[in-house]
Amino acid sequence: MPGLAPADSAGGGPDSVNGALVPYLPDSHVSAIYPLRHGLNPPISRVSVSWGRGNSLRVSVFRQPDSDGGEVGGKVVELTLGKSRDGEISDTQWRKIAYGSVSPFALLQSRKNSAASLSRMQLSPSPYHLEWWEYVMEYSKDISALLGDPKSVGAPLIEDPNEVFIKKSEEPSSLKAAWELMEMFYVDKLSQAWLPERLVDWLADYDSLISVDLPTVHSKLVEFQSKIVTLQVIEDDPRYWDLISSALAVGWLEIVVKLLRLHGSYRLDQLGRRETENGLVEAVAVLISKMPRMRPAIDAGKHGECFKAKPDFVKAWERWRAQITKLDSSAFWVQCDNRQTREGLKNVLQIMLGNVDVLCSATCHWMELYISHFLYIRPFTAGLESMYSLAQNCIRLKHTSNPHKLMRLMIGILGENNEVVLSECSRGFGTWMVAHAIELLTAGSNEADFLVHEERENLGGISLEELHRLVYAQLLSSHLLTWQIAPIYLTSCMRQGMGMLEILLLKQPVQENQVLLKLHLFVQNLEICRLYELDGVSSRLMEISGMYHWKHGRKGCAVFWLQQAQDEVRLSKIASQLFESVGKSISGESFKQWEGLIELLGSEGQPAGGLDFLHKYRDFKKCLQHADSKKDADAARQAVESLMSLMRNASTPQRFWLPILYDAVKLLSWDKRPLINVSQTNLLLNKLQELSLARLRPDFVEPELPTHALNHVRYSLATNLGRAILEES
Amino acid sequence: MEKSLATLDNGTTCSSWNYSGQRLATGSVDGTLSIFDSGDPASTSFKCTSKARVGESGVVKVVWIPPLFGDAVACIDGNGSLSLWEELAEDAQAVEWKHSKSFQSNSAKVLDVQFGVFRTILKMYVQLVIVFVCSSQVVAYSDGQVKVYELSNPLELKNWQLQAEFQNLTDSVAKLAKASCFSASICWNPQRGDGQELSFVLGFNSDTPQLNSSKVWEFDLDHQRWVPVAELALPEDRKDQVFSVAWAPNIGRPYEVIAVATHKGIAIWHLGSNPDTDGRLSVERVALLSGYEAEVWQMEWDMSGMTLATTGTDGMVRLWQSNLNGIWHEQAAFEPTT
Repeated sequence: MPGLAPADSAGGGPDSVNGALVPYLPDSHVSAIYPLRHGLNPPISRVSVSWGRGNSLRVSVFRQPDSDGGEVGGKVVELTLGKSRDGEISDTQWRKIAYGSVSPFALLQSRKNSAASLSRMQLSPSPYHLEWWEYVMEYSKDISALLGDPKSVGAPLIEDPNEVFIKKSEEPSSLKAAWELMEMFYVDKLSQAWLPERLVDWLADYDSLISVDLPTVHSKLVEFQSKIVTLQVIEDDPRYWDLISSALAVGWLEIVVKLLRLHGSYRLDQLGRRETENGLVEAVAVLISKMPRMRPAIDAGKHGECFKAKPDFVKAWERWRAQITKLDSSAFWVQCDNRQTREGLKNVLQIMLGNVDVLCSATCHWMELYISHFLYIRPFTAGLESMYSLAQNCIRLKHTSNPHKLMRLMIGILGENNEVVLSECSRGFGTWMVAHAIELLTAGSNEADFLVHEERENLGGISLEELHRLVYAQLLSSHLLTWQIAPIYLTSCMRQGMGMLEILLLKQPVQENQVLLKLHLFVQNLEICRLYELDGVSSRLMEISGMYHWKHGRKGCAVFWLQQAQDEVRLSKIASQLFESVGKSISGESFKQWEGLIELLGSEGQPAGGLDFLHKYRDFKKCLQHADSKKDADAARQAVESLMSLMRNASTPQRFWLPILYDAVKLLSWDKRPLINVSQTNLLLNKLQELSLARLRPDFVEPELPTHALNHVRYSLATNLGRAILEES
Repeated sequence: MEKSLATLDNGTTCSSWNYSGQRLATGSVDGTLSIFDSGDPASTSFKCTSKARVGESGVVKVVWIPPLFGDAVACIDGNGSLSLWEELAEDAQAVEWKHSKSFQSNSAKVLDVQFGVFRTILKMYVQLVIVFVCSSQVVAYSDGQVKVYELSNPLELKNWQLQAEFQNLTDSVAKLAKASCFSASICWNPQRGDGQELSFVLGFNSDTPQLNSSKVWEFDLDHQRWVPVAELALPEDRKDQVFSVAWAPNIGRPYEVIAVATHKGIAIWHLGSNPDTDGRLSVERVALLSGYEAEVWQMEWDMSGMTLATTGTDGMVRLWQSNLNGIWHEQAAFEPTT
């Protein structure tokens, strides 16, 4: 198997980090040890661990027991491992992203499945069908919108002339920057032709992110912005010209033009004296604002002339360059007596003419230098051709020991090394990023598609795609508010996702202390089981719930859930407990207690475990009680009917025959007239005979009845038979 | 990055979380069992909600019983006796932790106990407890014995039947006398579905070399007996005392993963699923995580079976993972500090 993310190609870090399945601590080295603060005084006698939800690890730390008993004996702390996301994002924002990305992800998966089934059926997609990358593009746009939109904030309504640089109200996030990089390189086929221009825009949006570690053009701008009001003669300040060159080098034309128009020669009081100087400044500003750009359109307020077709662009470019050269060699420079202006503007022209040395000194880090190459040295570059070697040259010129995570990702992308791209996504931007960005990567190339879908023996037969989804799902399940979306990701994993979903569901509590929430969550879990056809899991959950209620004295709830779970074993155990308590006495307290339960058990369409018998037995007992207390012949006849139906019913357990017959002695010895006729009596006698035979078997269970019960019943039956014969004859 | 969940009383010696991580049971030197709950599911603060005296001598181990049998724990006390306690509310009375069963032996101590749930095709439950007893006294019968008990009524924890009794030996004929065991570690195969084979892994830390090495035991349904199907030790390591074993959850791998800790380090084993003609399963040691000087106390796999967390006599918590090339390594370590 090819090694994943070898250390040298990733630009630093040991292999173990780059190849890690779950980058718990992305920048850790093998021997890294992290402190775990528990606040206990030593000595510590023992430490124990237990995994909680998802990635949370619970650690119990025990102190050596104290003889005086004053101290705390131990602490339990929870560590949430793994990086879900970029550290810049708050928990709430992160949950918003997690929830928001579910539906684009699910939609894309379902499209993928239907596309796969179409190709299995060997139907060619209809000509009106979109290309696959267009679906991924739609997905990418949806996700990108979730990650914040730095471009949405335009210029302020009242423009402050000194405000050269408009600060965005929303800070851009690295996550979005990384997402956009992936999108432009792998998905957006339409922009492939003007990739360099997209990079220019990208850097304009996200250069501030890189400024965290390094000086950048952006950080220089911000710094200068704060000084601008204090400067009397702006063009005398070397930083002014330096900044103009830097901003121009990275293509921020509107800033350059704005800065140029702050030049002192524009001031009204200077008009008469500095006309030539002002003319030169303005000429340069006009040239800059007319720079030809190979892109379909440009945002309002930005400078440059757009060309969609390369031949037009080439022509315009040459014309533009010719104008610059003409200006460069113009005689007006001699007439310009302000040395600062003259040199500054000449430098600007050198940038536009693509002077490597000037560009190199105007830019701060390699990405800026790289962008300036596209703008002024290699304006006709299209696609990825030789982009990587250029990047390496730039890195050599602007070396940094600790490259920013966005830059590491960029190098991976330019180097066309999918393994590094994946590993940088996970290392720098967390599990959410890698689980979602795989879709972008695979839209780009077959090679990437193979890489992430190859079943790997080392991972127990799963692919990288599944692995990253599992890892993300495990992280989602660490939190009470996000675990519900984990199933979406788990069910998209053919091989191991369902197994993990089962474990996840079986770890969900069936009881909570808050009744309403409990029921809500429990029903929600059952719904998830139903949705994914996990019948085994749902019946297990219902059994657990049933047993919880049973043990907590809520027998009705217990029976309900056990019935839902179709737990025949427990229900029949409950039934036999009922039998016992019902069998003991017809007037006792325990009977009343069970009566409600029998009612509940009987209300089901198909009573389980012979419980329909209990229902009938209850009716028999009630009639008998009634007949006994009121000496009511009607009630007695009703009791006889119940008796006969019980004894005829095959579901009446044999162990109950004698107790029933013993109860029936009252009916047999009804003093006014025999209630049970000859044939009925014969049936009862037959049952008694059968019972006598059954008693010979070893597994027979003797009911708890007085020892004379059997003889008593036999005698009563015989007497009744005699009376019935007399009555009927 | 750590968050405090609970503060334990002086004298607490062991703790155990229930299946959902919503309840914590702790045992202490004075024989008290304490149960901690959080009032609100979103809250991360756990408070002691009930206490029960479970024995005269201190509690050394608490183990939750699977939730299919209610909220219940097994406690092993300092004398080596095992008792089961469950939360009950009977006849509209308040919820209380009540004693439901004790397993005692005059001559032997219980070393470890774990519960497995099994359901046959007939949907009959069999719940099993494994009890390890061993003794320093010379009572041949109970030395290093493994006892498997079965619950007769799934509604209550009172009645248990001894289902099997054997020693941790691959050769069933041999019988050992005078074993003296210091500790033992059992771990059930954390299976999910129904109809899987019932199996567990077991290792001893004893003075009897044959007992020590970890063996995988499987219940043979046809013959209703326990058979050793694999031994997780290289021939030269068989005598090594085993400190801890942990069977990883399997969410779809074609093989099982089991971690075994000895003084040589933590060995990661792959256990094949197809038995050979002798009924043995193929085993392969894929890693030996050494350089870990301390004796391992405990090992726990995460829900995906990809990360192993361990603790040991050096007081450190370590996380182990395999990288994409199948190479196992230490991913991070945490050192408890004040």
